Amino acid sequence: MGQLVRTELMDLNLKATDRTSVIRELTQLLDKEGCLFSQDGFLQDVFKREETGNTAVGFGVAIPHGKSPAVKEAAVVFGRSEAGIDWEAFDGSPVHTVFLLAVPDQQASNEHLKILAMLSRALINEEFRQELSEAKTKAEILGILEKVTQ
Amino acid sequence: MKILAVTACPSGVAHTYMAAEALTKAAKQKGHSIKVETQGSIGIENAITPKDVADADIVVLTKDMAIKNRERFAGKTIINVGVGDAVRKADIIVAKAEEVIAQKGQS
Repeated sequence: MGQLVRTELMDLNLKATDRTSVIRELTQLLDKEGCLFSQDGFLQDVFKREETGNTAVGFGVAIPHGKSPAVKEAAVVFGRSEAGIDWEAFDGSPVHTVFLLAVPDQQASNEHLKILAMLSRALINEEFRQELSEAKTKAEILGILEKVTQ
Repeated sequence: MKILAVTACPSGVAHTYMAAEALTKAAKQKGHSIKVETQGSIGIENAITPKDVADADIVVLTKDMAIKNRERFAGKTIINVGVGDAVRKADIIVAKAEEVIAQKGQS
């Protein structure tokens, strides 16, 4: 999965319990890793996407994403919350697993998009979600994600 | 039953593919054959052919984005669904497809 997913882009113990704060928290990780040109620009596009349609997809998973000129380098941030996050979802159910996807507006190849597509498909699989929620370390999560995106 | 589906979503990054996977899984669980074309940011994948259309009993289209080449399904029985519903309630959509086909058979 190359550099798209890395242990530095994970937070297994999210503190925030509302959608906006969690997106901000995870975006800071992206910024720290040098994946963004502009944190504000990226946040704006992610929130705009949330307005078009809530990205809670059911089964306790949300996939906020920004395809944005503010993204320097495609990346996936993984976040997990034991307490649950209020994603203002259709059924009000809390979100425990968050994938924040950052995709540059223009990119040379489809490679990253293909990986995100594989990841999205894998999320439909209950065993995959179970493994992600039970994994104890970031290295384990990395292994699980790499398995489905090769 | 032969189901065709086309999925698309606003940014074409995630929902398109989740919906494709969910519909495939739900249809197969009920013993139906299914082919899903994805119209995402990668472009069109698993493209539906004229033969697929000719053989299909029903077509499921997501309605969040305009489906490209929609005219090829003219005359077919079509169900329009939200892409989010296709992700979360694929089994209900498959059940609905069964119902529509059953009703058509009676009329």
